[in-house]
Amino acid sequence: MIKNLQGNYFDPEIETAPREDILRIQLEKLRHQVAWAFERVPWYRERFRDLGVKPEDIRSLEDVRLLPFTDKQTLRDTYPFGLCAIPLDSVVRLHSSSGTTGKPVVIGYSRRDLDVWSDCVARMVMMAGVTPADRVQMAFGYGMFTGGFGLHYGCEKLGCMIVPAGSGNTERHLMMIGDYSTTVLIATPSYALHMCEVGESLGFDWASSSLRVGLFGGEPCTLGMRREIERRMHIICTDNYGLTEVSGPGVGGECLAARDWNHINEDHYLWEVINPVTNEPLPEGQEGELVLTPLSKEAFPVMRYRTRDLTRVTTGPCACGRTHARMSKVRARTDDMLIVRGANLFPSQVEDVLVGIQGLAPHYRIVLDNEAGMDRITVMVELLPDAFSDSFEQMDHFRQHVVDRLRQALLITPIVKLAEPGSIERTVGKSKRVEDKREKF
Amino acid sequence: MAVSQISVFLENRPGHLKKILDAFEAAGVNVRGYSASDTGDYGIARFILDKPDVALDVLRKRGCAATQAQVLCIRLPDKPGELARVMGIIAEAGINVLYSYSLISTIIAIHVDDTVSAEVALQHQPIELISQEELLEIL
Repeated sequence: MIKNLQGNYFDPEIETAPREDILRIQLEKLRHQVAWAFERVPWYRERFRDLGVKPEDIRSLEDVRLLPFTDKQTLRDTYPFGLCAIPLDSVVRLHSSSGTTGKPVVIGYSRRDLDVWSDCVARMVMMAGVTPADRVQMAFGYGMFTGGFGLHYGCEKLGCMIVPAGSGNTERHLMMIGDYSTTVLIATPSYALHMCEVGESLGFDWASSSLRVGLFGGEPCTLGMRREIERRMHIICTDNYGLTEVSGPGVGGECLAARDWNHINEDHYLWEVINPVTNEPLPEGQEGELVLTPLSKEAFPVMRYRTRDLTRVTTGPCACGRTHARMSKVRARTDDMLIVRGANLFPSQVEDVLVGIQGLAPHYRIVLDNEAGMDRITVMVELLPDAFSDSFEQMDHFRQHVVDRLRQALLITPIVKLAEPGSIERTVGKSKRVEDKREKF
Repeated sequence: MAVSQISVFLENRPGHLKKILDAFEAAGVNVRGYSASDTGDYGIARFILDKPDVALDVLRKRGCAATQAQVLCIRLPDKPGELARVMGIIAEAGINVLYSYSLISTIIAIHVDDTVSAEVALQHQPIELISQEELLEIL
């Protein structure tokens, strides 16, 4: 299988370039990008002056550490066009992030930015085993969100037939799979699961459907959830990585040889992994916060963007033949981290436990509150119809089993509540699975 | 002689039992007896119905967590000591009653840990057991 995948590149010359060539390209582009931002964006000029840095100080890739960090707040402070490095006449598109609080984050693109972006997406789509012969069904929403248009133009560039159905209307999606024999589905993992459930209830035959690949994004997809979708939809699910602030999807993609790792398009993105508390760089392979500097941006150059995503990166060789570094699947964000009774807890840990328990659906909700000054965590889990028995004793035994499994993994004892099948809200966008009702001090 | 009981998992929230009953009504299923008990968070509603297979099908299609169990239905003469007499027979046979509730009239349903032995024990006594067919007719 892996043998077949070799040679299946969108841009073989750069995707399999020797590492020294990649590093050379990165340094050249970094120096250009820093000068570009310094000359054209007053905000950067001021920051550079504050730090006593000039573009010519960048002599090696390590010198990126001399540059200021940017984060979501930077983009809010400069909203809407404060970071724009080209005349607004030359900006051909705007996108904004799905930010849940405060002002949105807006990013402009030049024509060349869009071209680079769709190249990056085409590469990662091909990494996932998609070819120009594929028919791609879009179940992401379009609009300001980068996922819809980003994947759309990337797939089109690759030469796929794209069916721009958009999000929602699950029955129509099922009809389109049947009528147009689509082979690739682009969706959030929770929407894919929803499609799965609706299809099953309508007697849709996933086993003999034309779909073969899922390109999932918009929210994290745990290993358990991926296996669940793969089993029920009879497809290969792939992950990819990107964020609006550095352009959108296409920063990296999962190759089929080394599942669970995303190759970063290093000729367009310089990565760093830092300790999110001390901001110090971490040795290769150690988990920390991913910091990205896009290297090819014209309209909205972004320096050392703090992604808040926790990952680790390896430059070791990959069986697919690509030489670009790989980042592990993002399982947690620095701001997803919950502190419960003084211990760190990620919702993904809860999900990992739940998907391993037979009799539970892969949907859950976490509620945090206080009782007598102590943090209390309640996990609502959804019972599968087959797991129900006409006995309180057995149901309680099952509930206790869930409590025990969670306690072993989280080292705190949660309250577990059993919910009826289908009762926990399915979301199309980022799943809102945590509700923190604790009093803030 | 045992009859089917349909049990449904229910969250303890307003309207959840009603939704089940509405579905029965829509399918023309008549409830001949029921019991609903809870643990605080969730409950189990148990039903004796004229058409248990239809009911189970309706619930499964709605995606409900529902299951079927066998219970014994007994018509008791409406006078003191009759319930004690039935429970006495089951106790004598060394069988454990897991739960029991009454239906319409003075008919009770009993779920035991050994339905067959309990049925045999009761049949040797002047006890009127009710069949699934009879549940269609009882007023």
